[in-house]
This record gives sequence, C-alpha cells and structure tokens, in this order.
Amino acid sequence: MERQFTEEIRSLHLGEGATFRGEGILAVTKALLQSGVAYVGGYQGAPVSHLLDVMVQARGYMDELGVHVEACTNEASAAAMLGASIGYPVRGAVTWKSIVGTNVAADALSYLSTAGVTGGALIVAGEDYGEGASVALERTHAIALKSQLWLLDPRPNLPSIVRMVEKGFELSEASSTPVILDLRIRACHVQGSFLARDNRAPAISMLRKLAAPAAFDYDKLSHPPATFRQEKVKAEVRLPAARRFVAEERLNEHFGGELRDIGIIVQGGLYNNLVRALEAIGLADHFGSARLPILVLNVVYPLVPEEICAFCSGKRAVLVVEEGQPEFIEQDVSTLLRRSDVPARLHGKDLLQMTGEYTVEVMVRGLARFLARHEPSVDAEPGTQWLARADRVRQNASAALGAPVPARPPGFCIGCPERPVFAAIKLAAREVGLPHISADIGCHAFATLEPFSMGNTILGYGMSLASSAAVAPMMQRRPLAIMGDGGFWHNGLLSGVASNLLNAGDAVLVIMKNGYSSATGTQELLSSRAKSDQSIERALAGVGVQWVRTVDNYRVGAVAATLKQAMSTDHKGLKVIIADGECQLERQRRLRPQVAAALAQGRREVRVKYGVDEDTCTGDHSCIRLSGCPTLTVKDNPDPLRSDPVATVIEGCVGCGLCGENADAAVLCPSFYRAEIVQNPNAWDRFLDRIRNAVLPA
Amino acid sequence: MTVPPRSLTILIAALGGEGGGVLADWLMSAAHACDFPAQATSIPGVAQRTGATTYYLEIFPAARAALGGREPVMALTPSPGNVDVMVASELIEAARAMQGGFVSPERTTLVASTHRIYATAEKMQMGDGRFDSGRVLDAARVLARKAVLFDMRQCAQDAGTVINAVLFGAMAGSGALPLPREACEAAVRERGKGTEASLKGFTAGFELARASAPPEPAAAGVPHGAQAYIDLGVARLRDYQGNAYAELYLQRLKALHADPQLLAEVARHLAVWMSYEDIIRVADLKTRASRFQRVRREVGARAGEPVIVIDYLKPGIEELASLLPPALGRRLIGWAAKRGKLDAYNVGLHVRTSGVLGFLLVRGLAWLKPWRPYSHRYHEEQRRIERWLAAIREATPRSTALAIEIAACARLVKGYGETHRRGLASFAAIFDALVDHPPVADAAAQAAAIRRARDAALADPEGKSLSQDLGKPVVWLSKAP
Repeated sequence: MERQFTEEIRSLHLGEGATFRGEGILAVTKALLQSGVAYVGGYQGAPVSHLLDVMVQARGYMDELGVHVEACTNEASAAAMLGASIGYPVRGAVTWKSIVGTNVAADALSYLSTAGVTGGALIVAGEDYGEGASVALERTHAIALKSQLWLLDPRPNLPSIVRMVEKGFELSEASSTPVILDLRIRACHVQGSFLARDNRAPAISMLRKLAAPAAFDYDKLSHPPATFRQEKVKAEVRLPAARRFVAEERLNEHFGGELRDIGIIVQGGLYNNLVRALEAIGLADHFGSARLPILVLNVVYPLVPEEICAFCSGKRAVLVVEEGQPEFIEQDVSTLLRRSDVPARLHGKDLLQMTGEYTVEVMVRGLARFLARHEPSVDAEPGTQWLARADRVRQNASAALGAPVPARPPGFCIGCPERPVFAAIKLAAREVGLPHISADIGCHAFATLEPFSMGNTILGYGMSLASSAAVAPMMQRRPLAIMGDGGFWHNGLLSGVASNLLNAGDAVLVIMKNGYSSATGTQELLSSRAKSDQSIERALAGVGVQWVRTVDNYRVGAVAATLKQAMSTDHKGLKVIIADGECQLERQRRLRPQVAAALAQGRREVRVKYGVDEDTCTGDHSCIRLSGCPTLTVKDNPDPLRSDPVATVIEGCVGCGLCGENADAAVLCPSFYRAEIVQNPNAWDRFLDRIRNAVLPA
Repeated sequence: MTVPPRSLTILIAALGGEGGGVLADWLMSAAHACDFPAQATSIPGVAQRTGATTYYLEIFPAARAALGGREPVMALTPSPGNVDVMVASELIEAARAMQGGFVSPERTTLVASTHRIYATAEKMQMGDGRFDSGRVLDAARVLARKAVLFDMRQCAQDAGTVINAVLFGAMAGSGALPLPREACEAAVRERGKGTEASLKGFTAGFELARASAPPEPAAAGVPHGAQAYIDLGVARLRDYQGNAYAELYLQRLKALHADPQLLAEVARHLAVWMSYEDIIRVADLKTRASRFQRVRREVGARAGEPVIVIDYLKPGIEELASLLPPALGRRLIGWAAKRGKLDAYNVGLHVRTSGVLGFLLVRGLAWLKPWRPYSHRYHEEQRRIERWLAAIREATPRSTALAIEIAACARLVKGYGETHRRGLASFAAIFDALVDHPPVADAAAQAAAIRRARDAALADPEGKSLSQDLGKPVVWLSKAP
C-alpha cells in the first residue's frame, strides 16, 4: 500500500474526551468504530481510499474489537456485503468512489433498499466532483432518489461529519433503510478535530458469533411477491419514519438572521463556502453569523415537507444552493411548496450556474443576482466589487504572462512499467498502422495524454475489451483494448474476456500486470500476493483463452514485436498480451530500504542511471515523445551555437531501462548512455577500474 | 484583545511527491500549538502521479481562548484575490496561480521557487517549447504585494532535504505568517522524520526570504554577435576536420558580404551544419576524457566509485553508406530507400565504452576522421550546404530579413536516422515551395511564409502541419536537396 497509517491507527484508539485530529475521511473511520460497526467493506478510490486502507492496516485492532474488514474486488461485492444487515441487527459500513462506484453497486443497492435493513447500513460515498475529480461528473443523488436510499451531506467540519455518521446509523435503523453519507473531495481531506468517544465493540461480531441463521422470512427477500409489498412499505412506512427521525433529531440546521423575507436552502457540504460568499457581500461575519435565514440540509434526501414549508412560509423568495445537475433538491422543494401553496418565489439554478464546483466566487455571483431581485435593501456592492476585482486580477495576470500556462496533468511515474508498453504501441503502429484503442480506468489512462495521446473510448473500470465488441466487426484492423490488472479483477474478466470468448471475438487485449490497484494507492489485488503469481494467466486459461503471451514491459522491441504478432496472426479468437512489470512506486518502496541497508553495511551495490550526451543530442526530443518520463526532460543547450534545448536525465531516474530500450527499438539517436555506478566496489572492481584508467584518456 | 476580522488564507501549489501534504501538516501543527483555529484541505486524487495539485489552508490568527466559544467558518476553496500567502514549489505553478487570480497586489505574498520542472507539453516539442521564465518572474514582481523568489530546489539540495522544508522556512521568513519561527520549527521537530535536514532547509529558506533582495541567478555569459559565433565556429571545425576545413568555413562566410545580424545567424548554423554528427563525430565525442568526466558528474558518482558507461548504438545502412565513397554510398542508399529497407538492417550495439575493448572499438571509428572528406555523407552535406548558402546569397540583395529566414531553415536539419530524414524532407519541402519557386514576389511576404512553414515543420513530427501550411504532402523520403 502506498501510504503508512501508523499515526492514524493510533488515533483510532482514542477514548472518551480525547481530541481526534486529522483528515475528514479518517474521522469517519473513527466514527464508525464509535458507532459499533460489526463489518466494513469497500473498494478503493479517491477520495475515500484512506477509510479502507487504514482499517486494513489496523487489522490487529479491528480483530480485537471484532470488526470484520473486507477489501472487496468491486463496489458491487461491497454493496452486497450490506446484506448482512438485512436480517441481523448488526451495523455495517461500506465505502467507494462515487458516481462510478455507486453505479457498479447499483444492482445490489436496489435489492438491498427493497428488502430494507434491520441493522444500520451506511454507505460512505466519496463524491468525486469538482476540481480534482477524475470520473464522469454525475450526482450520487440520482441513485439515492431512484433506490430510495437516504442521503446525508453534512457540513464540512469534523464534528458535523462524525455526528452524521452516528446519526446515520440511527436513521437507517429507525427507517429500515440504508443511508448514504456523501462527502465531497475537499470534505474527505479536510483537516480538523473533534472530541472522541469510546469505540463500541459490536454485540454480534466475528468474536460473538450467531448460533443460527435468521428465521425464514419471505419479506426479507427482494423477490416477488415480497417486492410488491416492499415497494409499498418504502413509501408508506420507511419514508415517513425517516422524515420523523430527521425532524425530531434536528439533523438539519437553521442559522441567521433578521432579513426574514428571504432565505437560503443549502446542501450541508456547501455551507462553509456559502458563509464565505455572504461574508464577501457583507451579509455574514467570519463566524457564520448571517443576516438572512439559512436552512442547512445535512440530510438532502428525504426532505421533511413541514420543515421546508415552515422555512419558506412568509418569505418573498428562497434560493436553493445545490451543486451539480440536475437540480434534484430544487425540484423536490418546488413540489413541496406547490402542494402546500406556499407562495415564496423559488430560485436556484436559474441564478446560480448549472454545472461545476460551487466555489465562493460562483456563489457570490448567484447571490448578487438573487439579492438584486428580491432584497434591494441589501447593498450587494461589496460582493460585485470583489468579483470585478477578481476578474481584473486574472486579466492582469494573463496580460503579464502573455500566453496560457502549460497544463500539468498527472502522468506515469518515474520508471513506470506501463510507459514502455505505450512506447511499443507507438512503434508497432508505425509498421502495422494505429488500431482502434479502447482505453480503461487506471494509471494506463494517462496514455490518453501527451506524449502518447492514445485511446478512442473510455467506458468504465475494466470495460475496455467489452467496449470494443462492436468496433471489431467493422474494423479492418483488430482493435486493441488496454486493461490493468485492477480492471481485470474489478470487472474485465467477466464483462470483457468471457463475453469476447462467448461471441468468438477476434480482439487484442493488453493486460497491465503491475501487481496492484495502483492508481488508487497501490492496494492489493487477488494477483498481488506473490511476485510469480499466475492467477491472471490461470483465469484466462480457465475460461478458454488460447492465445496468451507474457512480455517483459521494459523490452520495448519485444513488446512491439508481440503486438505486431497479435495484430497480424492468423489465430482467430481473443489474443491476450500480459504486460508484466511491477508498479515502480511499490518496487522502489521495497528496494530503497534494502539498498540503503546494504550500503550501510558496506556491501557492493550497483546503481543504474541513464543519461544523455549533451554534445551529440541535437534537440529534436523524439525520445521525449516516446517516453514522457518526468526525469527525461530538457535543459538549455550548452552549445552557444545551437538554440534548441537538449534532452537530459535529471535526478530521480530509477534506471528502469526504458531510455536505452527506446533508443534501441526506435533507432532514436546515439546520445543515450547507461551508467552503472559501483558503490562499495570490491577488489576486482577496483582492479578493473585501474586497467580502464590506464587505457582510457584521463 | 481585539479579534481579527478574518482568517489568513494560504494556497500551496505543488507537484506530486514534493511533500505538499507534509507542509500543510506542519502549518496545521504550528497553528495548533498557537491555539489558532485552522483548517487545511486538498485535492490529491491521482495528482500525486507527477501532476500539479494544491493545498488550501486557513488560519485564524487569534487564540481560541479569546473567541468565547465562537468558531470561525472556514472556506474549502481558495478565492481569487483573497489569498494572503501563495506558495508555489515551481515557477510555472506560480504562474498558474497568477493565471487563476490567486496572486493580488492588495493581499498576496508570493513565495515561489524559481526553478523549472518542464511540463510534458513543453519538453516534447521538436524545437523549444519552454514557457518564458523571464515573463513569469516579471509578472510575479508586478502582481504580488510582495514576492519572495529564489531557487528553493537548489536550497533543498544543499541542505540535503526536500523542497517543502525550504518553502516552509521562506513562508515564515517572509513575515506573512502569524506563526512565530519557534512554533514552525517545533512543528517540524514534532513530525520527527529527517528533522535535522528539514530544519537546515527551513533555516536556509527563512534567511533568504528575510533578506530584502534574494540573490538573483547570475546570467550565464552567453556569447553572441557574429564574431563570437565565428570564433566558436572556427574552433569547432578545426577540432572536427582540421585547419583546412575551418578555412573553408571562413571562405563561405566571406562570400556572403552579409550584414552583422545575417552573418551571425549564418555563422552559427553553418558551423553546426559543417560539424554534422556522423558516426565518426559521435565516436569521437563519446571517447573523450571530458565526456567520461561529465558522465561521472551527471550521475553523481563519488570519488572511488567506478562508473561503467554503456552506449546504445544502432548503426544501419545509412551509417554504413555515409562512410562509403560517394558513388557506392549513393547506390546503397538508393537501393535501400526503394525497397523501404533503410531501417531494416540496423544492428543494435550496447557498447561498454568505458571498458578497454568497447573504448577501442568506438575510438577506432573516430580514427576514420581523415577518411571523412572522401565519404558519401560528406559530399551530400557539402552539396546541401552550398544550395542553402546560394539561396541566402541570392536573397541577400532583395531583403536581409528574407535571407535570415532562409538561413534559419538550417535549424530543421538535425538528429539521426528517421529524425534526420524528416528534417531534410521538411527543409526540402520549404525550399521547393517557398525559396526556389516562391508563390509571392514580395520579399517580406516570402519571409513570413518561410517562417510560418518552419514553425509548422516543428509543430508535429508527422509533418501534418507543414503539409497543411504548404498545401501539399511532405514525404519523408523525398529526394533531399
């Protein structure tokens, strides 16, 4: 795993009255233990990876408490885990990145919500939306609505988040419905503190086992005829129960203010930025004391009709501040107001921008419009002046800089084993033509960026091969699907490989076997256990793939040759190339301490670094276009007669060998060299060195 | 005690792996030690994979005890114009922050390292795609209330630590933080990993930021002007092929009767072209003492550590033909090109140039220097050079600007193997279309067209832009000029 959570695990032990300090998502982890969860599962992905990672690393303590922790192979299996809470009074929590994970889990979630739960079931969804998001931008809200799962969106501070975890379990139990705790990226990573309580060991757990299964009860099965009853129960029993709980426990909060004719309804997660926006206009102070009434929805679904109507009654106008599209909450509020004939004018996405993250600036723009229309007594001038100043600052900067600053998206790490495969694809394509490339989710998706710019579609995690199914029959050249081992185990084996075999497809699949789910933080996979693990190979053979070749990623020429072979062989049927190369992050993490220890003991160690001879490099940079390694870069040409910068290998090179392989396979130029630095040389090394020194010019 | 009106806002722009998260932790822990309410947040995602990312903090500069139980509400996103301390671990990240409006003359202290880590889009260009650092530095000085700019990476390397420690020190030294130096240093100590080096880096950053004017990087003494180039050219060509060859260089320049600017441009390109990188030249450069010393320096080998150098050579038909007598060489190239076999017979050699045998093998090629003037490649290059010079001579009386543009086309011809062929093809295409048969009579328009075509030739390696610009396909294997 990429990160060590030693410190964080210690804070999971904190007891009553102690102050927990740390990240939002780890506060959630602590709150789960305070709530007495019996089991936790999930699938890794930013921004919630840390929840599961820390629990996996704290296995010893979890065992002590009796909490079962499962790193699931995908979100569907995580969601299905919550089935334990259907018939047994045990609390469970699962986590994943949303919207993608929620989509994968959707089938199990439908059945889970239909059957309903006895023990509290909480889904911690990392709402991957706005700056820093890496998935399709959609709202988890949609899934909550259609499956009738309650959706919590707490104010983004640790005490609020922790309270909503604890209350979320109670809500789930009070209404027999699973609950989603939705946390945006910045809320997951927000650093703060809260007063801890003691952890509670679950009453039923791996330590205190059940003697017998629950009694047979058809109403716990999501299967007709029970499903017809369950649908009614959802609407007639669970929904009212949930609304009652939300109202009685005052999960939503009221703030402010003397301007009673107007008001704002805001998602809890947006509260802090809203206060800052009001402050910019002069309607709030720095401590959240606002001049106009604010209804903060820590529970965004279901809404409590009485609460909404009471807030809006007697007001001229209300603004709903809600991030993302479509405007579910605004529509919901609109229905409630219309049904109760509350006359307040309703605004939301008509004044605030429809899409994108609701930053302070976005909110000030919307608020200024709202106030201008409905509260002319308020001078929004400070806000509009600030907006104008912000525009001016940006304009001045653009003028001073003269050109847009080059983008710097994430990319392959130094020495990444996936980079050489794309170099090989580029080289093979020169000879056999560029194929249609189905890209996938994972680090290899960075190949869609410069310098490779490869890939025609991305359809989801592990979906690359499946997404080329209809392309293949209408394409003269065989399409190429790229998939990571993460994607393979997440979904690709069944959706891609099995389906292709069933339909006698003729595609080419490259599986990046780097040994981990790397992009999410190098978590373990089924095939991570040992270096020589063959489970992918055996799985392929087991389902009937006949053409499988394993290549060493760093042998660019050999990889290119295998690709050409796969593209042109007479073999009909799926052709799989397993590109074998361990994630360099993990490899270095393993090797660095070993090498340091060896050096400290005076043992001989050979360090490898690549370099470029600056006087033979002509500054064309075709090597960079074939690599993109962060350590292969450019520097001023030391030759005053030339102007184009020369290539150079900077500090940090791990000596992966790609530079040499590319130079060789692509017949690039003779400027690359490989240097082997013998550290702690032995007598033989020194003897050879003396001979060399005698012959070579000094 | 009066309560300050608002929190201090800090935005940190860093690249993955530079310890931006640790820097945020240090600030949080120093703020906590002062009992100041504080909040930090970030958007790491997959950005740790070498991409740009940001950390955003707010610190309320008054002790919690003085707030009477009130808690400031802190924003989760930075706002343009509202950042008090903008920290950038690299120069273009500082520029990105400026572009986003996070550096304002009313509020912002900009603390940024001046070193560059080039983005892929900058370094993959066929020419020079680097963003102009000078513009960023100038902009920083104008746009920020106070700018603390120096090479913090160098500082970190000198202190044996990571750049975040120097950034932290520079923030504290800039006077923009409400946190006393002791609290900052205590925060570094508290974390307890590589503490000594971190504190050393912190101190270096602190001192340099406090100094009223951090040291400006010394401008490298780059020679320019025609005479400087001519002197360099003569020295280069003497080394390359002896005095007579250097004399040929001078004669070629003399025949130009050019104005100083044109002369400088031609002197520069002509010297580079005449010292074209054939296998003899490469072998010579790779077996010099200075080269082995440079490698040792570049790879950071310590005294007493043997360094083995392996070179990747892959000579093929072109390299062989280049050494043959002109008639033979021409025939071999023609035969291979016709059959598309130019790259078919390359032999990949991984030569241990630092070993006795490898050295002698490569040095042996360098010893072919006296043979060079009788080789096919020599004849080809001199023919191309003469064509190029003739075009410049012809253009000079019409317009110096046009002649300079023609001269600058020499920049396209560089590299080895396929790269070299591509450059020659672009050069030939531009010469055919715009020099030999110009579509416009006006010299200024012709010069502009040549410049545009040259930029297009350097825009993409497939020649798409150039084809588009010239309105006809550029075939790599077209007959070279």
